[in-house]
Amino acid sequence: MKELLPEIDRWRAKGERVALATVVATRRSAPRPVGSKLAVSESGELAGSVSGGCVESDVVLAAQEVLAGGPPRLLTYGITDDMALGVGLPCGGEIDVFVEPLE
Amino acid sequence: MTLFDEIRRVVEEGGRAVVFTVIAGPETGAKLLVREDGSIAGSGPAELAQLAPDALRRGRSHVLEHEGRTIFADVLGPPPRLLVIGAVDTAEALCQAAKLLGWTTIVADARAAFATRERLPSADEILVAWPDEALERVQPDAGTAIVVLTHDDKFDLPALTGALASDAFYIGALGSRRNQERRRERLLEEGVSPADLDRIAGPCGLDIGAESPAETALSILAEILAVRAGRAGGPLKEARSRIHPEPEEAASGKK
Repeated sequence: MKELLPEIDRWRAKGERVALATVVATRRSAPRPVGSKLAVSESGELAGSVSGGCVESDVVLAAQEVLAGGPPRLLTYGITDDMALGVGLPCGGEIDVFVEPLE
Repeated sequence: MTLFDEIRRVVEEGGRAVVFTVIAGPETGAKLLVREDGSIAGSGPAELAQLAPDALRRGRSHVLEHEGRTIFADVLGPPPRLLVIGAVDTAEALCQAAKLLGWTTIVADARAAFATRERLPSADEILVAWPDEALERVQPDAGTAIVVLTHDDKFDLPALTGALASDAFYIGALGSRRNQERRRERLLEEGVSPADLDRIAGPCGLDIGAESPAETALSILAEILAVRAGRAGGPLKEARSRIHPEPEEAASGKK
């Protein structure tokens, strides 16, 4: 959390809103431990991470929906059937990520 | 003050708290901050506050079910601290490397000419103090690692006996094998028990062929991380256990 604060402050100083994505649970292998955070600014800047770059692009989309007024979201990523189309964790684990506006 | 500002204050001050967030069920998104002293902020279900002491004891963020809601309990705590006794070159390298991990670093040395900001630009705190006084001020706890770099008995002995009297999760001492042996005898003479002596990693560090201060620092920090996770510190390729620590294994810095 602490390491994200300078970036979050910078965005907020520009008047941008910020969404926060947090790893709330992991099953089997997972690239980042529970509690890891990714902050997303309204203009799409990123700080921190919730995986090794595997699912961030999808989390950013969810973050932008949340910033546009959508409800907070609980997302689950793992190896799924739609992996060929989208994002997933190649390591074989599964993670739950909660996305909410920072306020 | 927004709830985020309240949370950031806890983080910046290195305080302990739990942030409860409803992640599924009624009021999804509602949050409650519960500080270690029991004070609360936020609009989440206030009865969650009673779960905070247990979450703080666990020391690790986790999900729980509470009256039809799924709750994420995010446990906030200060980063581990590294206390280095002896303001030698390796002390600065250790502080640099520990900063990379987000740790808080303190260097103590009784010699004022050594313990200077110019020599230790990466230390969060510099104490011109004898080991016992430094330990008294720092109050090492289960989230503190202590590395003794002085390799001079008049500093090493009080530093190590003092460190052994604390809950520090790691105690390391630099020095050649011959030095270690002599120091061991001296500590036994001073009444330190053999079991306590086994808590000292000496010579400290993993066997990676480190030579320069930066290499030595990396070797020592790697050992500190291994001890914290209860690992042996060998190549992952040869390890039988999981790559990342088990959730409970890494709890609050101590196995």
